[in-house]
Amino acid sequence: MTDRPRVNEAVKRLVVRESRVSVDPGTIDDLEPLNGDLLRVNSLGFLGMLVRLEDELDVTLPDDIFAGRAFTTVADLVDVVVDLVREES
Amino acid sequence: MDKILDDATRARAELPPPGDERYDRYCEALADELSSGWADVLAANATDVAQGTRAGLGPELVDRLALGKRHLDALVDLIARTRVALPTVTAPTVGHRAGNGATVRRLPKPLGVVLMIFEARPTVTVEGALLPVAVGNVAILRGGTEIAATNQALAVVIGRALKDAQLPTGTVQVVTDPDRRLVRALLKRHDKIDGLIPRGSPSLIDYCLTSSTIPVIASGGGVNHLYVDRSADLELAARIALDSKLGEPTACNTLELVLAHEDVAEELTRALLRAGAGLAEPWLLRVDPRLAAAVPPGAPVAELAAADNGREFLERAVGIRPVAGLDEAVAHIRRFGSQHTEGVVAADPASVEAFLAGVDAATLVVNGSLRLHDGPTMGLGPELSIATGRLHVRGPVSLSALLTWSWVVDAGGRLRGETEAAT
Repeated sequence: MTDRPRVNEAVKRLVVRESRVSVDPGTIDDLEPLNGDLLRVNSLGFLGMLVRLEDELDVTLPDDIFAGRAFTTVADLVDVVVDLVREES
Repeated sequence: MDKILDDATRARAELPPPGDERYDRYCEALADELSSGWADVLAANATDVAQGTRAGLGPELVDRLALGKRHLDALVDLIARTRVALPTVTAPTVGHRAGNGATVRRLPKPLGVVLMIFEARPTVTVEGALLPVAVGNVAILRGGTEIAATNQALAVVIGRALKDAQLPTGTVQVVTDPDRRLVRALLKRHDKIDGLIPRGSPSLIDYCLTSSTIPVIASGGGVNHLYVDRSADLELAARIALDSKLGEPTACNTLELVLAHEDVAEELTRALLRAGAGLAEPWLLRVDPRLAAAVPPGAPVAELAAADNGREFLERAVGIRPVAGLDEAVAHIRRFGSQHTEGVVAADPASVEAFLAGVDAATLVVNGSLRLHDGPTMGLGPELSIATGRLHVRGPVSLSALLTWSWVVDAGGRLRGETEAAT
């Protein structure tokens, strides 16, 4: 599997769990807002999200991966993580 | 990491037993040191808040980091309540006489070394340094990097209190190393750490539950429901529903979804809107489309979506969905609930009993607010969190939940062989 689908799946699982909502992560649209009617991601960059992503993707993420950036949709989040995964590999 | 664990092990061996007067002295000193050192804590906290703002954290997250006078007042009050509760919690238990004539009793013992992992709430640092330690545990506290400066200042305050009370310095260790590899390494040390208490986001709780072999006291989120039976007093049910949510909308013991018997669901929708009409702060009723006819024009409602099943609304909002009856409500709760707090409103005792038999959660509330699920309110004393696990600790994580025990058999010279020969 290439980086993007793998990261996409991991990120969607994460944002669904963080939003405390019971939906199939596979049904989340890439352009779904991170804070909208469906998703409510309000712990971006905190310890739990970082260790989860690191374990799922087997990468080390910098502490400030989400700092100073504007994230509107799931795809925005995926883009940043994909770039990092590529840099690491 | 080895130093942290070595210091913890040494402190554990040196600590006096639960009930020793030094723990009360520690509580008193912690309150004093917090009060006298609060300006330093606030200065450090301002650094964290500024850093968080620079890093682009939203206002809600920054608000989580920020400390003020009200936090100090709440912490000092928690310490006072802990001191009041300590003598009862650590008192020797009355034994019973076994069949062989020996007296059997339980002696309170601390859990041992407790690791708390949490994110952006600095008050948790103080709670973690207070409640576990007051009953004889060693606490290793690893907070989020967002509150690193605050935690460093709090570590100084806590260290002074330990010294004032003549407790070992390693009794509380505030880990400020931001390296997440340290967290991972600590989670693997079940040989040195006896209990793990994560507090924070769902990802953090999940991670601790799935990545560590250390027993976890998990305080997961609350996807809580209120079943309103057709026998219920609907005006009472409406007041219960609103009180269950609006007092503290983001707390884990609040209501998310009302499951209303279909015979009364429309009337209950109207009752909820009437009960909430005069409230000073705005709120939202999320209504199942099947109940749309019950909503008057201009009412503060939104549609309750299918995806809202199992959702925690971390806002001033409550959902309402009709169900065919108790069986459907129980099935819904089993599928979407988090076994935290579930409630029933019913005048019919048979409905209440059926609900209690069918639903399994840390606390079941009958004809009352879900927010009654609270250690102090339940008369259980101060609480660290509310646990949703199934073993040992369930519901309020009170001081007694942070203790285990040794069975003491006062045998008076009895031998097992003699007992078996006699029976």
